[in-house]
Amino acid sequence: MPREIITLQVGQCGNQIGMEFWKQLCSEHGISKDGILEDFATQGGDRKDVFFYQADDQHYIPRALLIDLEPRVINGIQNSDYRNLYNHENIFVSDHGGGAGNNWASGYHQGKNVEEDIMDMIDREADGSDSLEGFVLCHSIAGGTGSGMGSYLLETLNDRYSKKLVQTYSVFPNQMETSDVVVQPYNSLLTLKRLTLNADCVVVLDNTALNRIAVERLHLSNPTFAQTNSLVSTVMSASTTTLRYPGYMNNDLVGLLASLIPTPRCHFLMTGYTPLTVERQANVIRKTTVLDVMRRLLQAKNIMVSSYARTKDASQAKYISILNIIQGEVDPTQVHESLQRIRERKLVNFIEWGPASIQVALSRKSPYVQTAHRVSGLMLASHTSIRHLFSKCLSQYEKLRRKQAFLDNYRKFPMFADNDLSEFDESRDIIESLVDEYKACESPDYIKWGMEDPNNMLTGEGNAAGSLDPKSVV
Amino acid sequence: MNQMATGFENHIGYYDPAVQELIVIDEVLSTMVGVEGHYILIKTLRGKKDDIINFLVDPSMDLALQELAKRIFPLCKSFLLINQFVESRSQFQNGLVNHAFSAALRAFLLDYQAMVAQLEHQFRLGRLSLQGLWFYCQPMMRSMQALSTVIQKASVNNISGSAVLNLLQSQAKAMAGDNAVRLLLEKMTQCASSAYMSILERWVYEGVIDDPYGEFFIAEDKSLQKESLTQDYEAKYWRQRYSLKDGIPSFLANIAGTILTTGKYLNVMRECGHNVQVPPSEKSKLMSFGSNHHYLECIKAAYNFASGELVNLIKEKYDLTGKLRSIKHYLLLDQGDFLVHFMDIARDELGKKPDEVSVEKLQSLLDLALRTTAAAVDPYHEGLTCIVERSSLLKRLGTFNVTEVSQIDSSNNDILEEPVSITGLETFSLSYKVHWPLSIVLSRKALTKYQLIFRFLFHCKHVDRQLCGAWQTHQGVRALNTRGTAISRSSLLCRSMLKFINSLLHYLTFEVIEPNWHMMYSRLQSANSIDEVIQHHDFFLDKCLRECLLLLPELLKKVERLKSMCLQYAAATQWLISSSIVLHSPNESIVDSIKAKQGKSGQVLKSTTRNAAVTDSILKFEKEFNTELQSLGSILSSSSQAEPYLAHLAQWVLGVKHEQNGL
Repeated sequence: MPREIITLQVGQCGNQIGMEFWKQLCSEHGISKDGILEDFATQGGDRKDVFFYQADDQHYIPRALLIDLEPRVINGIQNSDYRNLYNHENIFVSDHGGGAGNNWASGYHQGKNVEEDIMDMIDREADGSDSLEGFVLCHSIAGGTGSGMGSYLLETLNDRYSKKLVQTYSVFPNQMETSDVVVQPYNSLLTLKRLTLNADCVVVLDNTALNRIAVERLHLSNPTFAQTNSLVSTVMSASTTTLRYPGYMNNDLVGLLASLIPTPRCHFLMTGYTPLTVERQANVIRKTTVLDVMRRLLQAKNIMVSSYARTKDASQAKYISILNIIQGEVDPTQVHESLQRIRERKLVNFIEWGPASIQVALSRKSPYVQTAHRVSGLMLASHTSIRHLFSKCLSQYEKLRRKQAFLDNYRKFPMFADNDLSEFDESRDIIESLVDEYKACESPDYIKWGMEDPNNMLTGEGNAAGSLDPKSVV
Repeated sequence: MNQMATGFENHIGYYDPAVQELIVIDEVLSTMVGVEGHYILIKTLRGKKDDIINFLVDPSMDLALQELAKRIFPLCKSFLLINQFVESRSQFQNGLVNHAFSAALRAFLLDYQAMVAQLEHQFRLGRLSLQGLWFYCQPMMRSMQALSTVIQKASVNNISGSAVLNLLQSQAKAMAGDNAVRLLLEKMTQCASSAYMSILERWVYEGVIDDPYGEFFIAEDKSLQKESLTQDYEAKYWRQRYSLKDGIPSFLANIAGTILTTGKYLNVMRECGHNVQVPPSEKSKLMSFGSNHHYLECIKAAYNFASGELVNLIKEKYDLTGKLRSIKHYLLLDQGDFLVHFMDIARDELGKKPDEVSVEKLQSLLDLALRTTAAAVDPYHEGLTCIVERSSLLKRLGTFNVTEVSQIDSSNNDILEEPVSITGLETFSLSYKVHWPLSIVLSRKALTKYQLIFRFLFHCKHVDRQLCGAWQTHQGVRALNTRGTAISRSSLLCRSMLKFINSLLHYLTFEVIEPNWHMMYSRLQSANSIDEVIQHHDFFLDKCLRECLLLLPELLKKVERLKSMCLQYAAATQWLISSSIVLHSPNESIVDSIKAKQGKSGQVLKSTTRNAAVTDSILKFEKEFNTELQSLGSILSSSSQAEPYLAHLAQWVLGVKHEQNGL
């Protein structure tokens, strides 16, 4: 069973969205709550083995690790209808059950202490797969466990499985509401550093945008976590369709990511999905042609990351790459026409320093899930405006840091012992350089970025080669 | 009478004219059935082609009687000729049509002889004068005349089979003014063609040629075996196993093609072991053909039945669309996950030289890959086999083009240059076992075209994989600050290359294969005959070959060059990256606070360095790649006038910017 992917769900949020993800996958593959293949699910042609394996009694078990430092959410899963789905050996709840107290350092530190237990579980799962392709981490970056322990796991995975891909689905906190987690900016910053350095790809799920989408697009006046989480699970399952329903291209994770991610650090992806529905909502049936879907995917209101940019900056923002995964009954001849139309209307602003275009993957839709619309689409995009989200995180951090607020909670842990706060400074630097790199991507000269250094011999030769100035490409 | 005559002198003139008349009537009546008398003699002169028959009359005969008798002689002559014709054509070697015609003539002669007997009876009763005889012969006279004309023409050319039928028909038409004669000739035609029609009937109703004398207008070439379809690239089975000969009866000329295919279809079904016959209700009336052209409708009905049945058989029982879909999964990579796994596990084997690659090993790896991926549920995946060809795709296409006799230009020669070292990756191909009767559609030739497309896609996938590997190598140095170094330049080059190969694959699959397949699929749903199926399928393959650039050697060479650059770059990445990184042992006193702190103890620390050789080679790769890409772009733009689909590819490969600046 080749190219398996192991999912690690860490912390409260991670387990909640993970849970929704598995629910969605089960329904798409016709797997019952107990992991038994439903009688109607005989069509085949799908790849359940990427995310599931079969136990001796043939029932399907998610390749998932459920990790938390406090038992509430995991207990909830274990008391739910899906309790028999997971492998109980893969559930890790900290012995003391006290959680991480929304403290990144606590989560990180506890992660270090239980490293052996968790790595045993990961190794066991990895050994159980034929040719493991990589890991998916679901977590939030604001709290303690998902961010702190998640960070620790990222570093460890990078170290131990350096040849394997690590993709994360990272939930960013809602910036519009005052959070009950006052140290959220610290946690976010420290996690962002690991996401930058230790992940191959980060799918950014911005709670601000998710809430906005729930309110505006789904007309829910006060969206619950369950409802926003179902948006997340929709995105997660849609972004894995090409792995689960094989087609011409993008049948492995590396192929999917490599075409989207331009440079090692610019690996943060935005997502958009249309048409959106949540459970129990009778949605208006809309016209869904390929063009409609592609056009809607480019609208900011359907994108699951809020734009924090000012108008001037926003006009500078550019797409680096786009992959549209279109699911459903699509007339393949429509694809070219739709792309052509989008091109003519100049609906997409692409980077200028290299070739770029919308890539399309057509994928089958689960025959077992009934939807009112014929076609649905997911956009995975690398867009320079993501830097504004990081800038926002940075500025919130600066505000807090200037006040020297709440730092005592961190000093209790070895990393920050003896008032050594260099970890913060260093994280800040890395995020800042990330922001800079994304900003540089907006310029046509990105290719020469950072090479203006007079001592740097590259500058001259770069011009002599001169071939990468896109203007000269005819 | 004859007894009476013997005793007299040889000259009839001795008798009284009234007696003479009786004698003459008697003699004429016997002459009419070919027996000569005393005063009327039959002289046959053997001519070159046919015999000339003359009647000699005793010159002493009363002149009036002579005159009347001579008027009746043509009838006698016709009788003799026809009789002779009947005798000679009844021999077995003359064929069924002649037999049937002779039989009809014989029946007609019986009528004639009955008439003569009637006249003789009248004569015995003393009621027949020579005048009366002449009068009663009148109706027969024209018919016999017409028939003798026909048989004379027939014997001159010694014709048989359909030529006889054509002759009869054309004579019937020529005699259109004389209703009785026309009806007679038509009746003769009908009788003569009855045997022919039964041959035709067996062919259009059962698909069997039952033609011992080689009269039928469809020939069977038994040397062409159906097995050749799966083996021989130029297999002629379908086109030439049955073919039309010369000498199609004129009344069938317009529908001969339909007749040929009808039987051909029935034959296919028979070969499949289905004893299909056109239901009797539809076949009843074929024999009774006439001017109302009912037989045409019968043949059409039989054709509709046969083609419908065969298409159903091929589609339902032999599941043509299922097979096609399966071939699409594997040879056109529509379900490409098996290939990912296969390339994972067969990497080492494929890296060998073509003659060192073990096909058996590849086959077992392929089976493994098929069993463990989405292909597992497709029962048809078992038809898939591995092949390692001898030459690279470009060279193969060179020879392919020659056999196709399609635009071979002078560049053909340098196409044949083989790259220095080709491996299994360049020569690997898949094949698919096809059995009769699907081999009619999926012939060796059709499969070869699938294989050419597969090899191209496969190699693109290989390049893609290698570049993904290079991408992952870059990902490995993400923790280092690569700003301004060759590494960041290299990662952008890697992106451009990935973009190129992905765009190419995208174009090949989503712009060429998928829409064309879709179109073919919907056409196949409405196809009414196997020939339509073949036509749509071949059209699909040829269009794909063309749009996949496989028939455009100049472009293809560019693409191959770009691909080989990508491969070279991908192979060099590991070295490029590791040469740009300096390793520090942890004891060294370089202050790298990040690493030192996060450091798991004992970890080797790394930092980037500027390495001129690395930078040079990256810039060189970059320059070469971009130059080549640009030149591909300009060729694409300039050829897109003639081949509009190339504009699509240009858009993919060059991206949006090209359009904004260039167009």
